[in-house]
Amino acid sequence: MPKTNIDDGLYERAKKAAEQAGYSNVDELINTAVENELKRIGEEDAEAQVADQLRGLGYIE
Amino acid sequence: MSEPREITIVSGLPRSGTSLMMQMLSLGGLELLTDGVRVADTDNPKGYYEFERVKKITADKAWLPDARGKAVKMISQLLYDLPNNESYKVIFMRRNVDEVIASQEKMLLRRGVSVPDPAVIKSAFSTHLEKLFAWLATQSGMDLLEVDYKELVTNPAEPTNKISAFIAQDLNVDQMLTAVDPSLYRNREHAGSG
Repeated sequence: MPKTNIDDGLYERAKKAAEQAGYSNVDELINTAVENELKRIGEEDAEAQVADQLRGLGYIE
Repeated sequence: MSEPREITIVSGLPRSGTSLMMQMLSLGGLELLTDGVRVADTDNPKGYYEFERVKKITADKAWLPDARGKAVKMISQLLYDLPNNESYKVIFMRRNVDEVIASQEKMLLRRGVSVPDPAVIKSAFSTHLEKLFAWLATQSGMDLLEVDYKELVTNPAEPTNKISAFIAQDLNVDQMLTAVDPSLYRNREHAGSG
């Protein structure tokens, strides 16, 4: 499994937040955060592509 | 009896049957908010039924009170800009996305615009619609009716009755049905391909 580096202070904050929010461990919180960010970026890219298409078709300015 | 205050929004992806729906509502007796700026052409031989100010809704919402009790066409991505101080009935046209893309490609070529990779735009539309419908489900001021284009064109009676009931005004269903012209169902997928 790939490993990545994370700032010590951020890791401690994530660990504390994971406990408070009911995650089973900090890894679960980090995985969820990465998934959510990837989804957000994907949605932004998709909306930009849709906007380009709609502009090309003359439906938005 | 008080005047209807709800705004009927006809929405969907371009080339999913929104112009047909506007025509049906008009024939049924519902007043449309259109300006006739975009005129009929090869892609929409019966007209576009658009209102240009819709395209500027991010900056200009002043026309919305004039849309109460009427129907206005608005492409899917602009729905996010509708303010929540109005009530809406959203008729959302659904059509096979491959048919939508094929039709859009022809329209883009006629407009001299480059055509994107169909797989890329298909994925983008899928993500766009998934996010949009999740958002629509949270909007208390928006009633939603999804209408399948293929069903509307091939077997229009049932969906037309549903539309009339959804609008909850005394629409003339028989007149609405006269708008359906199966010959305009172009860019359809070959049988068995979806």
